[in-house]
Amino acid sequence: MKKIFYIALALISLWSCRKETVTFDGPSIKEMYSNFSMLENFKSSKDSVSFANGEYILFTAKFNKMVNWKITVTGQTSHAKKEITGLTNAIDGSNGLWDGSTTYFPMFKAENCRAELTIEGVPDTFIVTTKIKSVKVNTGLVIADFENGFNPLWTKFIQSGANMDFKIKTDTLAPQGDDYLNMAGTVDWDWLIGLIDYPAAAYGSGKTMPLPTNPGNVYFNCLIYGVPNTNESHVLFQFKEDENADGTITASSDDQYDLEVIVNWVGWKLVTVKYADLPCLNNGQPVTPNGNGQHNPDKIGKISMLHLADPKNGFASCKIDYLIFTDTPLKP
Amino acid sequence: MKKLKLPIYIILLILGATGLHAQQKRTINIIGGARSFISTNQIKVMDSIPDTTTVKKNNGGYALIDLGVDITPNKSVEILGMFRIKNYYGGFWGSGVSFDVRQLWLKGIVGNVFRYQLGDLNLKQTPFTLYNHHADRIDSLPDVFNLQNQIISYEKFYIGNTWRQQGANIDFGLNFSKVLKELNFTGYLTRMQATNFFTVPDRLMGGATVNVVQGRHISFGYNGFWAFDVKGTAPDSNTYHNSVNTIELEYTTNLKNIGFEVKAEAGTSKSVYSQDVDASLLKDYFIHGYATIRLPKQYLDFTLGYLNVGPDFRSIGAQSKDINYSAAPEYYNRYTNAQIPRPLSVFDVVRNENIYNTSVTSTLMATNPVYNNVLPYGIATFNTQGILAKINYKFPKGIAVNAEQYFLSEIRGQGTNSLKKFSQTKLLAQIEINKLANFSRELKIQIGANYQITSRKSDVTVEEVDLKSLQFQAGVEFEFIKKIDLLLGIVGLSNKGNDFLPVRNSYSKIEYFNSANYDLSQYLSAAGIRVRFLSDRIYLCALYQRSTYTDKINVNPDYQLDQFCAYF
Repeated sequence: MKKIFYIALALISLWSCRKETVTFDGPSIKEMYSNFSMLENFKSSKDSVSFANGEYILFTAKFNKMVNWKITVTGQTSHAKKEITGLTNAIDGSNGLWDGSTTYFPMFKAENCRAELTIEGVPDTFIVTTKIKSVKVNTGLVIADFENGFNPLWTKFIQSGANMDFKIKTDTLAPQGDDYLNMAGTVDWDWLIGLIDYPAAAYGSGKTMPLPTNPGNVYFNCLIYGVPNTNESHVLFQFKEDENADGTITASSDDQYDLEVIVNWVGWKLVTVKYADLPCLNNGQPVTPNGNGQHNPDKIGKISMLHLADPKNGFASCKIDYLIFTDTPLKP
Repeated sequence: MKKLKLPIYIILLILGATGLHAQQKRTINIIGGARSFISTNQIKVMDSIPDTTTVKKNNGGYALIDLGVDITPNKSVEILGMFRIKNYYGGFWGSGVSFDVRQLWLKGIVGNVFRYQLGDLNLKQTPFTLYNHHADRIDSLPDVFNLQNQIISYEKFYIGNTWRQQGANIDFGLNFSKVLKELNFTGYLTRMQATNFFTVPDRLMGGATVNVVQGRHISFGYNGFWAFDVKGTAPDSNTYHNSVNTIELEYTTNLKNIGFEVKAEAGTSKSVYSQDVDASLLKDYFIHGYATIRLPKQYLDFTLGYLNVGPDFRSIGAQSKDINYSAAPEYYNRYTNAQIPRPLSVFDVVRNENIYNTSVTSTLMATNPVYNNVLPYGIATFNTQGILAKINYKFPKGIAVNAEQYFLSEIRGQGTNSLKKFSQTKLLAQIEINKLANFSRELKIQIGANYQITSRKSDVTVEEVDLKSLQFQAGVEFEFIKKIDLLLGIVGLSNKGNDFLPVRNSYSKIEYFNSANYDLSQYLSAAGIRVRFLSDRIYLCALYQRSTYTDKINVNPDYQLDQFCAYF
């Protein structure tokens, strides 16, 4: 019997060792299933902000429980929209910062903005206002934003089809600045509707583009608009390297990498691709490049932008703006 | 026809092997079994909008044969290979025929000391290391349901509390003349998950048990269980590791015809992912012990025990569930005009092999409060502490009564500091009237009930929990003509109240609580005739059974399933 007693004593001793340091597992049920209330009002850290100077706006609020919330900032002139969302019981520095970037184009301008906080299951909307004094600046090599018309060093070829329109437009549809390029027309004998060549010389650095050497740190970005109720457009970018920097791009011995974008959406969309991920295409199929087979962004001698469409389909149209190289994916 | 060629070749090979058997005695044996099943089923949906979409009647069945070749090339080695041919009724010319390897293993003994087995293994350690608890299965099912339930065990290789694995196992024993009586060792290593060469690495599972018998009264041992990913077998290097280490102690003695037994196991566990240690690390311990007093003259056993399993105790070998509540049922997996998934019913739990797992799973499986809200992972259920008491009465002339009571509570609150309390009262009885009344033909009555209460009191009303579940069963088996049995049975289950169901992330940490309300009742009743042939294992049984599912809160529309089936 003594042994049984000792065993029981050992078990009780072990039992008494348990110390609970965590209060409870998971989110608070009391918070989750109680009525919503605002513990701290929805606020903006600044009445006005200069995003160009690296400033930002911090939105804050506190709730009595975890909620799905969404802040929608709308530019009163541009109608640009920025959305910030979360599932938390507070909006703070970890989730409520706005750096001037855009979720739905166009991009913000220097304008008054209205920020609305909506909470799932709560009928009320909470509003603050702020003013953008200067817009966010994206650092990188801008290939084309069409704000100053056609660069005389660019060359273009436009087929002589019907309803051809390869012109810069200035209207409220512009996603960045005030201008964008419209590309439209009917060419019933060829896929090509028109093209623009952007040579390195247009960017002031001689025979190749002033870009970093590491293709993993170079991103090509552009904004493309899909026109509703129109035949499908293809936008093909050809990045033509001049590997020996002799000022001549030789197709048989220099690399060419391609980005083919099938415009199957409506409205503006950001297209971003890492230069290192670009394939070499021939009629849309990946092939081995003809040069050293290495992605050398610093040796790009020319970029060709082609607007293509199936000739059987007839009229095709799309719009493009803000072609820019950046070192990280563009946050417009 | 091509599909049929392989089985024909195998049969020819077996016939050839049988010839060999005739020449070399006791080297090759043909073993196996066969089963045929045919059923006609009907569903009736009680929805507010008449269900005109679901096909209400369904017929089907199959015949299968499991044929094994047991080869003993010498007295130290035994090899078993078993294949299955299954033919669904209505499949002709090979279109409904499947051919599978069902079992493959090799075992032997080296130097009359080390026993080993390679291939398929049925493994079990302790209830906290590697153990199939069958936590949600109904104890002491009436025979009319049990014969269907046994098919699940056969199909899923459940031999008691084992899990089926594939790998290698060794064991050996040593006898001593002084201090210790014997030492036994068992170790195994199995592959529980194969890599997909991308995101899923190879996952291995190993274990070791060392058991020392000190003398006539005392034995003790160590159990280790490890599941781990093999680094480098997939580009994703976030590897998983779960280890459980336990010690066991058993003491038995007799004092004046009264038997005493004390058994205890305690241990620790650790579960972690290599690339997210802070978020994924779970470490905890458990203690389980009980004392039993045996009164053989009174045919009585009394057991009193204590259970404490930490909130962060994780053991995938002991916390894998046999029922997968996310699996689709065999019949009518969608119903109503909207074709929503049909909720599982007692009918599925009792006889649907599709929802049962064969092997251990490495993620924490979902529980279902309808079927078990007290110990959903058996006694290895984490975040549980409390006491248990059991009384067993076994009268040799055909009366067996088992009663057990658990009083448990959480150790750490779930979404609140208030703790849930659990109570489980179980009563099972079996009376063999033929033995009591001394007549030869079997007449057996089985009854049982399991009443579970889950409650949480709190100063905050919204946190309160009150869920009561009653499951009962009754059955009769009567051999009214020699070798012909009448089988009757009913299983009922009702759940009423509310609880909060945790939604866990991939690290098994709670991210949300779904509020669940129940007012559900289910009945499964059956009647059948069984004709036994040469032995009790060869029989023809015709059954009619009805299952009703009534949800008064109407989370899911009510339905009724009727089935007529025949087994051979």
